[in-house]
Parts: sequence; structure tokens; C-alpha cells
Amino acid sequence: MTAGTEASGTIFDIGYRRYDGPRLGRGGAIGAVVQAGLRAVFGLGRSGRSKIIPWGVVILAILPAIVAVAVRVLAGEIIGDLYSYENYLWQIGGLFGIFIAAQAPELVVNDIRYRVLPLYFSRPMSRVDYVASKLAALAVGLLALTLVPVLLLFIGRVLATEDLLAAFGDEVGSLPGIIGSAVLHAVVLASIGIAISSLASRRAYAAGAVLAVFLISGVISEALSGGALNAFDDWAPFVSPLSIIDGARQWLFGGEVAQSPVGSSDVPLPFFGAAAVLLTLGSWLVLAFRYRRITV
Amino acid sequence: MALISTRALTKRYPGGVTALDGLTVEIGEGVIGLVGANGAGKSTLIKILLGLLEPTDGEATVLDLDTRTDGARIRELVGYMPEHDCLPPDVSATEFVSHMARVSGLPAGAARERTADILRHVGLYEERYRPIGGYSTGMKQRVKLAQSLVHDPRLLFLDEPTNGLDPAGRDEMLELIERIGRDFGITVVVASHLLGEIERVAGWLVAIDAGRLLRTAPLTSFTERTGQLLVETEDDADRLAERLMARGIEATAAGRTMLVDIASAGGGGFDVYDAVRDDAVALGLPIIRIEHRRHQLEDLFRDEGAA
Repeated sequence: MTAGTEASGTIFDIGYRRYDGPRLGRGGAIGAVVQAGLRAVFGLGRSGRSKIIPWGVVILAILPAIVAVAVRVLAGEIIGDLYSYENYLWQIGGLFGIFIAAQAPELVVNDIRYRVLPLYFSRPMSRVDYVASKLAALAVGLLALTLVPVLLLFIGRVLATEDLLAAFGDEVGSLPGIIGSAVLHAVVLASIGIAISSLASRRAYAAGAVLAVFLISGVISEALSGGALNAFDDWAPFVSPLSIIDGARQWLFGGEVAQSPVGSSDVPLPFFGAAAVLLTLGSWLVLAFRYRRITV
Repeated sequence: MALISTRALTKRYPGGVTALDGLTVEIGEGVIGLVGANGAGKSTLIKILLGLLEPTDGEATVLDLDTRTDGARIRELVGYMPEHDCLPPDVSATEFVSHMARVSGLPAGAARERTADILRHVGLYEERYRPIGGYSTGMKQRVKLAQSLVHDPRLLFLDEPTNGLDPAGRDEMLELIERIGRDFGITVVVASHLLGEIERVAGWLVAIDAGRLLRTAPLTSFTERTGQLLVETEDDADRLAERLMARGIEATAAGRTMLVDIASAGGGGFDVYDAVRDDAVALGLPIIRIEHRRHQLEDLFRDEGAA
């Protein structure tokens, strides 16, 4: 900074420096949006208040696993396990809706509302790249709920035994199911969450819509299932995304969950798989329409 | 060397609106004014050059890259400042601009450094750490400019950059644009419907109207001397014009001003002054000024509109 220009007011003459370093192109752009998205999902670099919900939910999701492991260490196998690899995600299912309602709108609503998207699309990134990056950010963020607690349960079970190697051998067969259902949950839930949020004009509306879809559909599904006449038992699980995903999980990796309405349905499990695929593709279709409509 | 070149570029929107109609133009280095009325096709041209819109017909290259096939590569090397508001209110200028630098493909460290540099260049200091929502229009406009510059583009597209600014803000923005072209060595294409502003910063002008090229030339040729003398008198100039016509000099009066064709007076252009003086004296008509008229940028559109 030279001295003379300082007095002249608004512009300091510091001399313009060119940039000759690497340009990472499309890959760099996608990486940047995913990374910024992950930070948004966990409220990093934002006020303390924006961390409360994501981190609170993550702690609530992990807590049962820690308690279960502690109980096992202290009491051995005297008490039957409250949580298994199969039913854990169903038990904490209510948290997914809260997490997505709070964090999915952060990712997409303001970019549309304040017309920031043209700035993204005038950079080395396409509309598809943008949407895929946002989906990836939320899906990876959701693994903190769908994978981390179940992995803790897994590690706890192995460590709680005397013979670690033998225990690992007993438990390792569950790993593909653990990872598979974690990814299944994360991808389907993220798709629904981002699709709903992209339609809302404000973050609060988006949050309300996501909560409505997850919580109300769950309540309706449970009310229908186990009714006096059992008339709706077969189709009740298809009302709620969470029970559709649970059915798909059961089809792919096995293990029935006692509390899930999937158990009282006579519809074959592959239908749940198909429903989960349709739900995901439907969400992507909504996103395709939504983002095509945005003029640059 | 032409940085931008289009050939018979045509864009028809569904619904029958023709935004560009066989536009062929070459644009070189410097600060280039892209002028035209609202709806002349300026924004459409910029979007096609960014590879964001497919032309209906014709072709365009930017930095020797085809806009149809190399859009992503083009967008890595150019900057774009849209006409409309495009800033989220809840993040700071520093955060936002450095994020945009990374989306342009810069590594994290370089993005941070260049953000600090560029925000200083556009004149944002302490306020850059505060959320953008609290900024004045002038400050927001600077952030918009900064995000378009942060990745050191070779070419910059600014769409109506002075929109919504007060006179002081306009002056500062125009000064910045001039500096970007002159000191930063970045070619700037400024789209504007305000000829007076373009006149102040551009060295070259591309004028389009209804999607067609009106004229492309250095700014000086737009404002060069015409073959007309402008005479302003204290009273109606009709009788003066009549007397000049009687001498065989072409003159047209409109109220208290009169345009005189210099060549028609003969004598290498000097006789016309004498004729005007003599006739004015004979009529006892006081003359307020006589000047060799210059082209105004507005003529460009007025003439074309009349034709």
C-alpha cells in the first residue's frame, strides 16, 4: 500500500496481482460446494445457535448406542439387548425428520430466494453438479446419524468381550448390513429433504414442510397399522418414508423390526425396495423440474 | 486478437421472441461498451457467451473456445456480474467471495488470499466481516463486482453495473471499471442502456438494437465531428434559415436552433461562417453560439429509429 493514495479516499492502490496458480475446474467447484454444504449441515463457521439442532440431534442419536454398550460392559449378557443393528435406525427415526427439517433448508433455500444460483451457474459447474453436490452434502451429513451410532454399537460389542478376535469374527458379518442400511437411509432421506426444501420460498416454510412430511406421515402410518380391523395393515407402511426405507432395508439386509409397521404388512418386501427407489427418483424429478425453471 | 467473436448468432425464445437476430461481431481487448435499449439483446448475448444459453443458430467463441462445447472452460476464465441482486444476506462478504472463488476452481488458500486482495481493490474494509444483509446498495454492488473478479478472469462481463446506485456510487463504480480495464489489464464488457456512462469508461463501443448489430467502432468515431454547424439564436431561426437557403446553403431550423450543412456552402467550409454572420446581422438576430456539431451517442439510435 503506497502512502499517497491513502488520502484520496475509497480505493487503495495496492497494485493488482494476477493469479497463475492451479485452477481446479469442475471438480474443484463440486468439491467446494460439497464442503461448504457439509459445514452448513453441522453449523460450522456459523453462530452457536445454528449448531444446537444438528449437534443436539447427533448426540441424541448416539446416546442410546453408548448406553447400550455401557450396559453390556457392566451387566454382561444378562439383560437382552434393547438395540440391535437392525432396529437401531428405526428407534431413532424421529430424529431424522428434525435434523433434515433444520438443515436441508440451509443448503438450498437461500440460493434460490436471493437469486445466488446464477453466480454458481456462471462458474465451471452445471445445474446437475450443483444439485448433486447439495444432495451429497446432506447425505454425508446424515451418516452422522445413520452410520456413526450403529458403528459405535458394533465397536462396543466387540470391545465388551474377553476374546476380541472371536467377537470381531462373530460381528463382522453385520458390517455390510450396517453400512448398507446407513447409506440407504442417508440417500433416500437426503433426496426427499432437498426436494421438499427446494420448493419452499423461505427456510422456515421448508422446515415446516419437511417436518410435516416425516412426522405426520409417521403418525398416520402407525395409526392405520394395528387398527381394530387391521384393514389397512398391508398398505399403512407405504404412507411413511421411514417405514418404506425400513422395508427396503429388511429386503436388502434382513432383520425384522418389531415396532415397524412393515412387520404387520403382507406386501412382499421387494415392493418396499421399489417404493424406496420411486421415492428417490421422484425427489430427483422434482429437483430437475425445480432447477430447470430457474433462469440465469 | 478477438477475445469474443460471434457469427450470425441468433436466439429465439419459445413463444416467438427473437432476442438476437443474426449478430456478427468481433470484440477485442480493453473496456468495451455493449449498448442498447432494454430488451435489445444485451443480457441474452452475455448468457450465450457464458455458455449458459444455447443459441438457436450461428456460433460464438470466447477466448477461442466454443460456447456450445467448452462452456465450463470458458466460465473458469471469465467473470460475470449479473444485473439483479444475487447476494445472500446472512453471510459476510469475505465468506461469500472466498466461497465463490473456490467454486470458480481456486484452491482454498488462494481463494482466501485473493478475496482479501479483491475486497480491498473494490473498497470494502472493516465491513467485509459483517453480514451482507446490512450493506448499502453501493457496498452490495462492490461485493457483486468482487465475486466476478476474485478468480482473476481474463474477461469480465458486467450487466448494468451502476443499476440502483446514487450519483456518487455511479462515479465510484465507473472509476473502478476503468481501473479494471486499465490497471488490471482485464478486458471488460459493460452492458448498459445508459450511453452517458458508457461514454465515460469504454474505449470501444458495440451498439445493438433489436438483436442486430447497429455499429461497432472505437468510441471516438461515435463522437467525431459531423459536417454540420449548430447555430443557436436568441429568437426563432426560421428567417435566418430561409435567407441561407436563398444562398443555396442547406439549413434547417427548429425553434431557436438551426443546423447548417457546411459542405453545401462551398469554400472549404469557411464561407458558411461568413454567410451565417452576414445574414444574422442583416436580420438583426443576435446569435448565442455557433459550433461545429459533434455526433452524440444518442444519434446512433435516433437515426436508426427514424430510418
